[in-house]
Amino acid sequence: MSDWIAIGALAAVGLLIPIGMMTVSALLRPSVPETGKSTTYESGETPTGGTRIRFNIQYYMVALLFVVFDIETVLLFPWAVIYRPAIEAGVPMTDLLWPMLTFVGILAIGLGWAWRTGAVEWARSSRAASRKTERDINT
Amino acid sequence: MSSVAPAWSALSPALLLGLTGLALLLVDTIRPNERSNTSMAVVSALGALASLSVTVWFVIAGTGHADTGGAITLLEGAVKVDTMSLFFTAIFASVTALVVVAAHDYFHDHQRPAAFYSLTLFAATGMALLAVANSLAIVFVALEMVSLPSYALVAFLKKNRGSVEAGLKYFLIGALSSAVFLFGISLVYAATGSLIFGEVAGQIESLDTLSGVAGIGIVMIVGGVAFKTASVPFHFWAPEAYEGAPAPVSAFLSSASKAAGFVVAFRVFTEAFPLGASLAADINWVLAFGVLAAVTMTLGNFAAAVQEEVKRMLAYSSIGHAGYALIGLAALSAGSAGNEAVMGAAMAHLLVYGFMNTGAFLFVAMAERWGIGRTFEDYAGLARRAPVACTAMAVFMFSLAGLPPFAGFFSKYFLFMGAIENGFLWLAGLGAVNSVVSLYYYSRVVRAMFLDDPATPSALDAIDVRPTALYAAVVFAAVATVLLLPGFGPVIEAAEAAAAALF
Repeated sequence: MSDWIAIGALAAVGLLIPIGMMTVSALLRPSVPETGKSTTYESGETPTGGTRIRFNIQYYMVALLFVVFDIETVLLFPWAVIYRPAIEAGVPMTDLLWPMLTFVGILAIGLGWAWRTGAVEWARSSRAASRKTERDINT
Repeated sequence: MSSVAPAWSALSPALLLGLTGLALLLVDTIRPNERSNTSMAVVSALGALASLSVTVWFVIAGTGHADTGGAITLLEGAVKVDTMSLFFTAIFASVTALVVVAAHDYFHDHQRPAAFYSLTLFAATGMALLAVANSLAIVFVALEMVSLPSYALVAFLKKNRGSVEAGLKYFLIGALSSAVFLFGISLVYAATGSLIFGEVAGQIESLDTLSGVAGIGIVMIVGGVAFKTASVPFHFWAPEAYEGAPAPVSAFLSSASKAAGFVVAFRVFTEAFPLGASLAADINWVLAFGVLAAVTMTLGNFAAAVQEEVKRMLAYSSIGHAGYALIGLAALSAGSAGNEAVMGAAMAHLLVYGFMNTGAFLFVAMAERWGIGRTFEDYAGLARRAPVACTAMAVFMFSLAGLPPFAGFFSKYFLFMGAIENGFLWLAGLGAVNSVVSLYYYSRVVRAMFLDDPATPSALDAIDVRPTALYAAVVFAAVATVLLLPGFGPVIEAAEAAAAALF
């Protein structure tokens, strides 16, 4: 018997269970249509406006800075994993430290530059500010 | 010398460029509110020149040369410093120096010019790394190090629609071709089980059934190279990006970035996929490059001939020159003794091209700085108001066309002669026909500047500023183009020595 039969059986069962559950519940449950059920779910809030809105461009700057730290983690995790075994194997500590320090140092210079040139400051656009006050008056 | 200095110091040209870029960021971090355009330009020019002088010193001292212990490999063979890498690093560093000096005047009223200098230096670092890459992984990382700053540089004039549009187009095509290139690398890795060039070459001969996979991978790698060198079929971005970008950036991309694409192509296709082994595995990349070279130079030159704007004409002409340089890969034949000559001539052509094409784009930068128009007609009568700059531009144009008294003639001559001696008469003939076509549109610029009368007597009144740094960069590039004429012997010797180490 081929191993693939087991995988095929697993896939078939994996499809059958959810489809079966949905079919059974559709047969059993009473049907009570109501507008609240068909509206978009927005974490319990009453949905407002359309889905296609403009996000503030600043979210994108934050996302970019996040990527910097994301990449940093990708290097630091394997580095931290090999650190202790390498020390025990007799690798000099400077040989272990300088790649990590160089990497973090380059990132730190980039982050410092972004910080000082105002990439993380929340710029206030006049339009957003005026919209906010309008809403405050209405409520 | 390598016995005295630690091995990593062979990378110092690249390290110098990178450290200069970081230093620029640090300066801007400490004093972000001062528009220190001049000091930024001076620091970056000094960094590029320091890198250039170290490179030239290495070439003279014979670092990585066969006479002084051969190529220096670092990082488990992933990085290799030899004469070719130094030769190309010299091109990158000189173009960078010219561009940052010229940018000082071009961005004289820009709000925050600091980012321009650091991005340029980082891109140059990536190019220097590309020149020493000996592993497909390093090639990809370095290629991205060149590409990502380039996208930002093309879109550097944030408020200019043309610049932003050019940046977006460049980014989209660049992202696509990077993906294609990376997929090609993964296929080659799947077939050969290694990323180091030498080990890939060892496996190419014994591929058996996997040669199809490797072949598709190699075709995709050709695609990535074609993007970086602005060759057919990935050339569409070039006219758009060069036209929309600030002119110093166009100069940088069309000279240094193109040379960076070629250094990868030369090394990958001679060291990772050597010709004899590739042919044995039924992978005939020479034919692919032959077709690409023919189509690229013909398309570039004929499209340039019908342009109305000088910058767009230069963009298409740079596509045409990519076609000429591709002859360096297209006119090879397995085991032939003439391979070194033709590839060395292509390298020398890229060096000469680095100066003359950068100079031509910087002249366009000067025209943009003056605020005269972009078309050939707008350049009419310019020589009366700016004779020195126009003479320099005439030198660039005739040298790009390959007329005898200039360096461009010699590099083209050696290239075509090498192709003929290697049995590729048709490529050389096509190149010669294309050079004749190119003479038409290059001479249009010269005729407009020197012979035509301005459309209105007041058309050139805009020329009231004397951008000293731009002038210096343009004149220096012209002097270099002329001086490469007597100095062509050492250049072609160094290039042929660099090529000889590859075969």
